[in-house]
Amino acid sequence: MDGNMEISVDKLPIKRLESIEENGAERFPNEVGYEERRLNLIHRIDFGWAVDREDSAKKHKKDTSATTTTSKDATKPWPWKSLVENLQAAHQELSVIIDLINTVEVNDAVTVAGMTRPKQLPNELLSDLAVSTATKLQCYRHLGKYFKQSAKGLEQQIAREARFYGALIRLQQNWKVKRHRMAATPGNEGFYIDLFDNSLYDPAASFRPSTMSTVWVEHDAAGMLAINLPQKAVRSLQFGFLCRNSDTAAIQASRIKAVGSDQDPAGECKKEPESDDDCVKNKHAILREVHRAIFDEQVFDLVNREAFNPSLGVNITGIRENYLELNLSQGASVFISLMPHKHEDRVADSADNQNSESALVRSEFFNDSNAKDRTKDPRKKSVFPNRVSCEIFLQQTFHEHVFVQAKKRTTSGGKMHSGQPTIDRSNLLGHFCMSLAHRIFSNKILRELDDLVSRVPYVHLISHPTWNSRTSSWTLSVDVPQSIIYASCQTQKSDKKAKTQFRTKVLVNDCIKVEGEGAPNVVGLFKGTSERICSINRYDCDLADLPMILLQQIASQIIRWLHAEALMVGIKANRDFLCLSFELEQGETLGLVAHVNPEDPLGCISWWLVMDDGFTEEGKLQSQISDTHNRKFLGHLSLDVLYSTLLDLVSLCSGGSNH
Amino acid sequence: MNKGGTGGGGGGPTAAAALAAAQKQKTLQQKVDNDIGNIVDNFSFIVNVARVNDPPVRNSQEAFMMEMRASRMVQAADSLLKLVSELKQTAIFSGFATLNDHVEQRTEELNQLADKTDGMLARIGEDAAASLTELESHYYSSVRTSQIDTM
Repeated sequence: MDGNMEISVDKLPIKRLESIEENGAERFPNEVGYEERRLNLIHRIDFGWAVDREDSAKKHKKDTSATTTTSKDATKPWPWKSLVENLQAAHQELSVIIDLINTVEVNDAVTVAGMTRPKQLPNELLSDLAVSTATKLQCYRHLGKYFKQSAKGLEQQIAREARFYGALIRLQQNWKVKRHRMAATPGNEGFYIDLFDNSLYDPAASFRPSTMSTVWVEHDAAGMLAINLPQKAVRSLQFGFLCRNSDTAAIQASRIKAVGSDQDPAGECKKEPESDDDCVKNKHAILREVHRAIFDEQVFDLVNREAFNPSLGVNITGIRENYLELNLSQGASVFISLMPHKHEDRVADSADNQNSESALVRSEFFNDSNAKDRTKDPRKKSVFPNRVSCEIFLQQTFHEHVFVQAKKRTTSGGKMHSGQPTIDRSNLLGHFCMSLAHRIFSNKILRELDDLVSRVPYVHLISHPTWNSRTSSWTLSVDVPQSIIYASCQTQKSDKKAKTQFRTKVLVNDCIKVEGEGAPNVVGLFKGTSERICSINRYDCDLADLPMILLQQIASQIIRWLHAEALMVGIKANRDFLCLSFELEQGETLGLVAHVNPEDPLGCISWWLVMDDGFTEEGKLQSQISDTHNRKFLGHLSLDVLYSTLLDLVSLCSGGSNH
Repeated sequence: MNKGGTGGGGGGPTAAAALAAAQKQKTLQQKVDNDIGNIVDNFSFIVNVARVNDPPVRNSQEAFMMEMRASRMVQAADSLLKLVSELKQTAIFSGFATLNDHVEQRTEELNQLADKTDGMLARIGEDAAASLTELESHYYSSVRTSQIDTM
């Protein structure tokens, strides 16, 4: 401290160590009282920086007055020196003024007569002006900042509104968007989408509007549309068969949903910023889902209405909330219910949901493939139609005959749509149930036919789609091999065409109708004139008799074919119901008899050779069955073998007659 | 916000509706005028007080005034914006001609789609029937022959 040059470092206002003694004791600076500090400060001003430096208790609280600054500044060497001096002068003047004011305050006797501002120097004037200008400039800057900020806010608002209205317009192209002014809070307008299309319906039907028919639309944080679904989850129609084991799966998951509909209705937009397009598409998907749910509710409502009208084919066996159990005539029970989609689940794991859906599909697929694997035992195959298609069929029936019809009536004065069987509009459920019953019944028939065809190798089954929900039709065809003789004389007698295919048609609508060609009809049998052949036979039969009748039909067709072939060869042969008999010499007849047994696992039609000596009556054929001498079991023959057997017989007969 | 002549008044007679519409137009225009006048006034004030005054007290007073005016301007701008959004809403919800056009167009599209779908379903059905026939014939001509051979 020699006074020439000195750098004083400002101390922080916190307590600091002043020194540490050799024994480690720390010394803090002494506490300085207010008075003392004031004194010090005054000292400093009065006596300049040299005195100040020696002051042992230099203290340092940042909040002190300008004098502290002065002292700090004063310690700095040059550029501030003049300023420091000026300030010191100002302080002196101020102290004088303060003294004066104090004196005036204490002493009432003194009054201030007048005060004039001291004339300012030009540079002072200028500096004042500069300060004012700077302040103003600051003000304007501040204002500019404020404007910028609010402009940004407004821009954001504009962008949000543009997005919102853009999306709203796009939604409006497909949905009925309505505006709702809330009375309580004027200016706060809400939008909602009306999904309930009341123009469609018959006023007499008095549909009750669904609770979901209004969907509120709001801005979300990003200015995008947010759709406010009612808390009640979207429900969907479910359909299933009750007596099916696999229906536990069916109850759990109903329909194969479109991928787009598996979106979270509320939070999807927030999760990841997506484009407006995607967002609007999402909303579309949600609205469609809701729309479909409303449709499902209405269908369920209609189903309920119809279920309680006494109508054909519908028996209610169980009823619960949103659940209806019906008994079909084929011994099957179905349920129709409204099940909520759980949004939480879908939000949480829509991917999982999709997986489970696909798993369901897969399991159904596997079930089907399993069923295919089990074709060896076709009786195990389920006779119930696919649950999902039944559900679709139910919805389609109601849509076609209630909603579309109503719409047509309102638009064009009611033009009935034909094509499908005319269905009583008041008995759609009955139609549905009867269609289902028919489907089950026809599946049972198909099973029988499959079973039969798989055991009779030369019979082919041809399906005929009828495009009618209550009619099914199949054809059993037997392709007979072309005869050698026919082939040789085909060129000569092209007009006489031998039959190479026999058909039997099975038609199922309310009962089974079997229609076949080439078999002798029953009336002819009773008359004993087996030659009289009705070209087309028609039977009505039930399921139990069906295999038997069909087998008889087929066997008689084969007999007919063999008969025709025999005649062609030139051998006299008689045809009886299932027997072809050739006359041998001495009144003996050799018969080729078809034996029909639907229960036979190997082949349902077997053949016997029966020798008849001419004395036994035809009626006693049964008693001769035990007689193994007169008859020979040929087994299940294919048509080719039968044909060669016939030729053998022919040669035998002709050989016999030549003898 | 303006509620004069509540927009959609389509229910009333035409004259009343026209009157309401005119009224609404008038109020809207008035509002626009008010807001823009407000903005212009405040802005000119702000420009005017750019002069630096001699007594510093007045300067700070003016600073407060400026802030106030600025916030009024922003308020007016916001009100204009609200008006714009109301106009947008009116345009969206009251443009019945466009709405009807849209609806008709959409109906047409959807009907076409329905027809197309019907046609497609019919075609699929026919295809399925044809395939079924083909498959059945293949089945009976292939597997069954081998069955016969084995028998």
